[in-house]
Amino acid sequence: MNYSIKKSDLPAFMQSLAKKSEVWVPSEGSSGATLFAPLGDSGLYLAGRTDFSPKFLFRPPKEKMFVFRKNGSSYEIHHKFDPTKRVVFGIRPCDTHALHVLDELFIRYYGDDQFYTKRRRNTVLIALQCKEACENGFCTSMGTSKPIDHDILFTERGSDFFVTAASEKGKKLLNRKFFKPVKDAAPTAEIGCKKQLETKSLGPNLYANFNHAIWKQEGERCLSCTSCTQVCPTCYCYYTDDGFVFGSDKDSERYRFIDSCQLQRFTKVAGGHVFRKSRGARLRQFVLHKLHYYQDQHGLQLCVGCGRCITACPAKIDITKIANEIQREALGGKK
Amino acid sequence: MTKFVTPEMPEIAEIIDITVERPDTKTFTVRYLDPKLQKKFSFMPGKFMMVSVFGHGEIPISITSSPYKTETIRFTVVNVGNVTNAMHNLKKGELIGLRGPFGNGFPMQRFRKKNIVFVTGGCGLAPLRSAIYAVQAKRDEFGQVLVLFGCKTPQQLLFREDLDNWGRGGFSVLLTIDNPDETWRGSAGPVTAMISKTDMPLENTAVLLCGPPNMIKFSIIELRKKGFKAEQIFASLERMMQCGVGYCSHCNAGDKYTCIHGPVFSASELDRLPLEED
Repeated sequence: MNYSIKKSDLPAFMQSLAKKSEVWVPSEGSSGATLFAPLGDSGLYLAGRTDFSPKFLFRPPKEKMFVFRKNGSSYEIHHKFDPTKRVVFGIRPCDTHALHVLDELFIRYYGDDQFYTKRRRNTVLIALQCKEACENGFCTSMGTSKPIDHDILFTERGSDFFVTAASEKGKKLLNRKFFKPVKDAAPTAEIGCKKQLETKSLGPNLYANFNHAIWKQEGERCLSCTSCTQVCPTCYCYYTDDGFVFGSDKDSERYRFIDSCQLQRFTKVAGGHVFRKSRGARLRQFVLHKLHYYQDQHGLQLCVGCGRCITACPAKIDITKIANEIQREALGGKK
Repeated sequence: MTKFVTPEMPEIAEIIDITVERPDTKTFTVRYLDPKLQKKFSFMPGKFMMVSVFGHGEIPISITSSPYKTETIRFTVVNVGNVTNAMHNLKKGELIGLRGPFGNGFPMQRFRKKNIVFVTGGCGLAPLRSAIYAVQAKRDEFGQVLVLFGCKTPQQLLFREDLDNWGRGGFSVLLTIDNPDETWRGSAGPVTAMISKTDMPLENTAVLLCGPPNMIKFSIIELRKKGFKAEQIFASLERMMQCGVGYCSHCNAGDKYTCIHGPVFSASELDRLPLEED
């Protein structure tokens, strides 16, 4: 069963959701960048994908994991995570794919990472289909232009949204007050990304060109600013940091921070040895992790083609340009 | 309340003994507070654990004790960073956190009936010691055993008592010092040079390596020159790690995760992996 909701009913629908759970919506942030924010905090932004992905709702940039409290002859370990029920409205197809690939690692690979899993299970995803290609996006190449693992899908058409429930959890939210059943065929959304990435034997070809001159060449322009890894919807690397609870010399806490492979310290071991000293080597790590290593290990492409890293890069380094150049040489006339 | 189980959660263990190996190195003998966990504990030599020093951090440390003596767990720790420094300040009876053991370890079952050559530099002997103990415990199941151990100075030699025991137990223990002083009467020069000088059985032999990146790189070159095949050589790599379970991605070496696929790789795997990525 499909439904429709009038655009004018959207605010009231979201308000009704907000009575039972936190509602996060794409918003115009105070800094000028667009990102997901609690409903009502700032203006709704539905024109395209947000500058920052909703990844932080599942893997916050900083989170307290444990408090180790000294208790007689042992430690009590308290874990900290926020199990609030949430609805994320307006998540774009590329970002639903980003969660899909992270689920593979944090839920299915080594048993549940509870911090991630609990947040995922407590969140309803209302996806919003893109109408047109976004700046620098190449989701059509990566096969991520249609949403996955979402609970409800909204597709904009004139004065209303065409709505499809994709899960039982989603169906329950489609209040008849706002949603009318429709028999119309689902609107087709064909978006034409200007950027393309040749994905044929992509990972193996890139890895075979580990010593290609382009890494050094592009790496020399890189500023190690970590913008790419901050905006990326799938960059999940983290480091942990322990410290004492303020006012105690016994109780301590462990925080987890999202890290960036673009920093020298990322591979620095005790004693000072750094395994990826040059910016070119670190840029190559980013690109190969996105386009080869993860696929090799988990069978899914870590890059979802959102193009955010290209938009955010102050040096205009473009993952598709690097990959396509290597692909052109590797595939040669065989394409 | 059901127990909160997540791969990042440490279990509590008590330090029951501390041995000073050299001024910057101590061996900690620890035991889980929960006897059930200690009873369940088993590991393959070459595996490592994530050790928490509360208030200071969590670091990967290889297990240095025998896989046949699992009523306690031993870690040999050089004081080189913030967490190891804090660990060195801990006393008998204090508590640490443990996760693991993680990694693949050395494929010991494949070494049965073989000659074994151990090549190591500095504190690289700590993880190999566990494998040497394993061979020592089942001495009859192995052929000739050589231990090549190099250090920068005589003062940096580790586990002298073990070295003596292994020598008396029929292992050829060969020590070399990079920068010998007047007290040293043995071999001088890097352990990699010792490889080329030493007679080793080539057939039916496995070589186990652990040490700094350059020692591993040049040892493999020397061993190959002698005629060893890549698949006979196994090396344990060191990398920055934050999780041990493939979550944090600090330990990528080429397309492999040192924590999941390693830390032990055969030289044929290492042919395809960059030891240094510059």
